[in-house]
Amino acid sequence: MTAALGPVGVGFRSRRRIPVTIVVCLAVLAVALLAVLLGPLLFPDATEQDILSSLMPAGSPGHPLGTDELGRDILALTVAGAASALVGPVCVAVGSMLLGILLGTLAGYERGPLDFAISRWTDLLLALPVLLAAIVVSGVFGGGYWTTVALLILLFSPSDIRIVRAGVLEQAARPYIEAAQMLSLSRWRVMFRHILPNVSSLVITNAMLNVAFALVAFSSLSFLGVGVPPGTADWGRQLTDNRAIMFDNPAAVIVPAVLIIAVACCVNLVGDWLGQRLTRSGGLA
Amino acid sequence: MTGIDVAIDGIDGPTGPMVAAVAFGIEPGASLALIGESGSGKTLTAKSLVGLLPNGFVARGVLRVDGRAHPLDATDASWRRVRGREVSLLLQDPFTSLSPVHRCGPQIAWTLEAQAGRRLPKRELDLAVAKRLAEVNLPARVARAYPHELSGGMRQRVAIAAALASDPRLLIADEPTTALDASNQAEILDLLRALQIERGMAMLLISHDLGLVRGRTDDVLVMRHGEVVERGATATVLSSPEHAYTRALIAADPVLAIEADRHDRPDRPDRPDRPGDALGHGADIGVSGRIPLISATGVVKRFGLRTVLDGVDLSIAPGQVVGVVGESGSGKSTLARCIAGLEREDGGSIVFDGRPLAPGRRSRTPEQMQIVFQDPYSSLNPMMTIGAILREALAVGGRRPEEVPALLELVGLPADAAAKRPAQLSGGQRQRVAIARALAPRPRLLICDESVSALDVQVQAQILDLLGRLRDELDIAILFISHDLAVVRRIADTVTVVWQGRVVEHGTCAQVLDEPSEDYTKLLVAAARRDSTGRTTVA
Amino acid sequence: MLAVRVLGTAAILFVLSIIVFSMLHLAPGDLVKTLLGTRPASPEAVAAIREQYHLDDPLPVQYLRWLGGVLSGDLGESIRLQTSVSDAIAARLGLTLALCGLAFAIALAVGVPLGVQSAVRAGGVLDRAGTTLGVIGLSAPTFAVGLLLLYVFAYYLPIFPVYGGGRGPLDTLYHLVLPAVTLAAGLGAIVLKLTRTAMLRELDADYVTSARARGIPESRTRRLALRNAAIPIVTGASLLLTFLVGGTVLAETTYALPGLGTLLQDSVLFKDLAVVQALTLLVALVIAMIALLADLAYLMLDPRVRAQGGAA
Repeated sequence: MTAALGPVGVGFRSRRRIPVTIVVCLAVLAVALLAVLLGPLLFPDATEQDILSSLMPAGSPGHPLGTDELGRDILALTVAGAASALVGPVCVAVGSMLLGILLGTLAGYERGPLDFAISRWTDLLLALPVLLAAIVVSGVFGGGYWTTVALLILLFSPSDIRIVRAGVLEQAARPYIEAAQMLSLSRWRVMFRHILPNVSSLVITNAMLNVAFALVAFSSLSFLGVGVPPGTADWGRQLTDNRAIMFDNPAAVIVPAVLIIAVACCVNLVGDWLGQRLTRSGGLA
Repeated sequence: MTGIDVAIDGIDGPTGPMVAAVAFGIEPGASLALIGESGSGKTLTAKSLVGLLPNGFVARGVLRVDGRAHPLDATDASWRRVRGREVSLLLQDPFTSLSPVHRCGPQIAWTLEAQAGRRLPKRELDLAVAKRLAEVNLPARVARAYPHELSGGMRQRVAIAAALASDPRLLIADEPTTALDASNQAEILDLLRALQIERGMAMLLISHDLGLVRGRTDDVLVMRHGEVVERGATATVLSSPEHAYTRALIAADPVLAIEADRHDRPDRPDRPDRPGDALGHGADIGVSGRIPLISATGVVKRFGLRTVLDGVDLSIAPGQVVGVVGESGSGKSTLARCIAGLEREDGGSIVFDGRPLAPGRRSRTPEQMQIVFQDPYSSLNPMMTIGAILREALAVGGRRPEEVPALLELVGLPADAAAKRPAQLSGGQRQRVAIARALAPRPRLLICDESVSALDVQVQAQILDLLGRLRDELDIAILFISHDLAVVRRIADTVTVVWQGRVVEHGTCAQVLDEPSEDYTKLLVAAARRDSTGRTTVA
Repeated sequence: MLAVRVLGTAAILFVLSIIVFSMLHLAPGDLVKTLLGTRPASPEAVAAIREQYHLDDPLPVQYLRWLGGVLSGDLGESIRLQTSVSDAIAARLGLTLALCGLAFAIALAVGVPLGVQSAVRAGGVLDRAGTTLGVIGLSAPTFAVGLLLLYVFAYYLPIFPVYGGGRGPLDTLYHLVLPAVTLAAGLGAIVLKLTRTAMLRELDADYVTSARARGIPESRTRRLALRNAAIPIVTGASLLLTFLVGGTVLAETTYALPGLGTLLQDSVLFKDLAVVQALTLLVALVIAMIALLADLAYLMLDPRVRAQGGAA
C-alpha cells in the first residue's frame, strides 16, 4: 500500500526534488514490505520452539540476534513478524478510508436525517478512546486477528467520516457543484466524479497517517495480550513475551521496538509530505 | 530635505518578479493615491515599505524619510526601528486587523508604550488613549470595548488611532474602506484626509477605486501588472487620462459611464420583437400577444426568520435581456437562484414557457436555463480538463463531443484550451469556459449572477461584448444580476430594481437609470455618483 | 449553546451506559459461570448468583437496577479481587492520577515553549529538530518508548528503578519519573504540534502584521499571538485525553505500576466484567466532563463566544 502509493500520488515531473528524509523513509518502508512478502518464505518455521537453544545472547553462532526463552530465533521471528505487524494496520487504514468515503460523502452531500444519523454515530464512537474500546471489546469478546482488524476499522472510521464530510460540505457549496446540478447530473455522478477527486488529497493523506496510528494501536493491543494469539510471530507480541528477558538478551526487545517506531515514523513522515504536496498541487493531478 | 522619497528597484516573489521599478515622492502634509486592481502589485508595494513582505518575497530599493535612508532589504531588527516612528500601516479589514481577544484600549496603548520605550503609568496611559480616540471621533469608553462589540466603521477608527499613536511621518493606508459599507467609506476617507493635513503627515492611500480618491489625494499613481502606467495630479488624471487602462478604469466608474453613455450610446439594430425597449412598464405577459419565456409572480423566500424575497414579480420575453440591480443583501441573487431551482422558493409561482415549475432543480431541465456564476475561480471543477467539462455539458444536451472546438470558438477561446485545466487559464478565460458550459445544452435562458463582477475592467468589457454578441447570434434570453449600474446599462434592455426583497422600479434602462421615479432608485443612482466624485451631484 | 452541549454529553453517556451494561450479557460463554468466576458451580451457588444479580427480571429492569447502583456508588463486586469494585478503584486511583498529572506537567512544560519557538523561527534548526521529535513522539507506541527508556535508564545507566510503585510519597514520585517521561513523549508531541500549528496561523494573522507595522516590540507581538492561539490549543485538549487514556494503560503495564491501567488490563484478561464495566464508564465520564470543561475554557478565552453564550 505505502510503496504503491508513492509513484501514483507523486507523479514523475518533480521526482528529483524528493527530500532525502523521504527517500530514506521510502527505503525503510520498501524493506519492511519485502519482509512482509518474503518473510513466510524465508522463515517458514520461525515460531518453532527449541528449548535446547533457549536464551542465547545476540551474536551467538547461528543466531545473530540470539534467541528467546523458548529458543526461537529472534531474527527469524522478527522478519516473520513483519506481516502480522503491518498487514493489519494497512487493512485498517484502507477499510476505514473506504467506510469514510462512503458514509462521509453521503452525509456531506445528502444532508438531512442521514447526515444527522451518521454524525451522531461518529460522535458516539469518538467519545471513547480507540485503544480503550479495543482493549475492552477484544478482551471481553475474544476474537482473533481479523476480528481486531474489523473492530479497529470501525473505531478508526469516525475520523475519516468527519474529514470526508467536512471536505464534501466545503466542496458542495462551491459554484462548480451548482453548475453540475444545473446540468441535472445524477447525484452519484456529482458525488463521486465531481466532489470525490477534490477531497482525495485529504482522504489519502489521512489514510497514510491512519496506517501509522493503526500500527501503534495494533502493536499496543498485542503488547497487552489482546488481538494477536500467543505464539504468533508479531512485533508487539515479541515485546510483551520478551519483557522478562530484556536484561539477558536486550536485542529481543530492542529490535522489534525500534522497528515499530521506525516504520511508524516513516509512514507518518511520508504521509505528512504527501499531504503537503497534494495540497500544494491542488490534488492528484 | 523633508518628506518621503521612495525608490523601489523591484519586488521579487517565489515565482519571479512581481513589481517593476517604482519611484515616487510625497511632501509632508501631502497625499498620494496608488491605484490598481487586484494583482497589480499595489499591496506588495505597501508592505515592502514597512518591511513586512510575505515569506519568499524580497524588495530592492530605498525608502527615505526626511532624508534618512532605509534600505528595503534590511534585516527585521533594523526595520523595527523604522516601523511606527517613521512609517505606519493601516490594513484593509478592520475585522481582522485588531486582536479579537483584547480590548481596544490596550491595543492603542501598546503602540504608545512601544514609542515611549517603557511601560507607562496606567492613568497616564488611559488619558493618552482617550485623547487618541477623541482624535478619530470616538468616545473614551470605546477603550473598554472588544472589537466585536463595535461596528466596522468604529473598528477602522480604532485601527486608525492605533496606527497613528506612534505619530508616523508616513501613513500607508491599504484599501482602508474596501471592507466597509458605502456610508462609512466616505467618512473614513475624509477622516484620514483631515488627520493627514492636520498632522502635516504624508499619506499613501492604496485603492482599487479611482472615483473614491477624487478630491481626497493630491496625486495619483496607476499601477497594472506590477508597473506604473500613469501618474499625475489627481484632478488631471481623472479629467484627461492618457493611458488606455486608466480610461478603462474611468469607464467602469458608474457615474462617468452613465454620463458618457447618455451621449454616445452604441447603436443597436432595432429589434421590434423585443418588448422591453418599446414597452417599459408592464412589459409582462403578452401585450404583443406573446407568452413570456419565464415569469415569476409573487416569489417569496425566507431564510429562517429573515424574509429575503417578499413577493417579487419578474418576467423575461424570449431573446430579451433583463437586468436586476440592487445592493448586496437586496435579494437579487436569491431571485436568480430560485428561478434556476438552486433555492426552493417558499411562495409564489415560476412559469417557464407557459408551464409552471415546482420549486427545486428536479422540475427543471438543463435545456431550459443555465447559470454563470460570479467567481470564475471556483465555478469550474479544478480536477477536470476544460474538454472534459464541456463534453459532460454537451452530453447533457444530447450533443456530440466533437462539438467542443466549435463551442470554444463561440466564446472566443482557442481549440487547444480543451486540454488545459482551469488553473492554467486566466479569470476572463475561465469565465468564457463557464459561459461555454452554460451554452452547451442550448438553454433558452442564461442567468448571469454577478458574472463580470470579479473581473478586471478591461476583461469585464470583453465578456460583456461576448454576452451581447451571443444574445444577438443565438437569440437567447438573459437574466443579468448585478450591483453595478454601469454594467447593467451596457447590456440590459429593461431594468428591475430590487430593494429589501421587493421590486421598487421596473422599466427600460434609460427610464430607470436616467430619470428614476422611485426614491430608492434615485438614492441608488445618487450613491453611485457620490461614491465616485466625493460630493453629491444629484440634487 | 452550552445547554445543547450538556444535553448531547448526557445523551452520549446514556447510550454508552446501555452498551456497557449489555457487555455482561453479550460476553461469550455462560453468564452465570462468568459471574461465579472461580467458585464451584453448585446449584445453590447458581441460584444465589441469579438471586443476587436479579437475572430473572426483564432486561430493562435489570439495567435500571444496575444504573441505580452505579449512580449511588455501588459498582458491584470484583470476582478476581474479591472486593467491591469501588474499593479496588479507590486503592489505585491515586497512583494513576499522579502519573497523569506528572506526565501532563512535563508535556506542557516542554511542548508549549518548543511549539512557540518552532513557529516563530519556522524552518529553522530548532523547528526542524522539534518537528522530528514531534513525529517520533506521535509515532512511537508508549510501550516501545517505555521499554527503550527502561533499558537505557534502569539497566544500562541504572539511575531509576525498574518496576513498581514505590513506598511513601517521595519514593513513589521517584518511581513515577520514567513512566511519566514515557507518557509525556506522546503527550508532548501532541502539545507541540497543536501549539506550533496554532501559533503559525496566528503569527500570520492581520492583527500581528498590524501590530508589527506600528512598531510594537516582538516580545509583545508574540504574547498577543499566543493569547489568541490559546483557543485552538485548549480545544485540542480532547486529543490529549484520548491519548492519555490508552497511554496510561500501556505505561502502567510496561512499568508494572499498580494503577487503574493495569487494573483494567488484568480485569479484561481475567474477564472480571464488573471492574471492566466500571472503568469503561469512569473513563467515558471523565472524558465527557473534560470535553465540557474545555468548552467552558473556550468560553472564558474568547470574548466573542462569551457574548453569544451570555445571550443564549
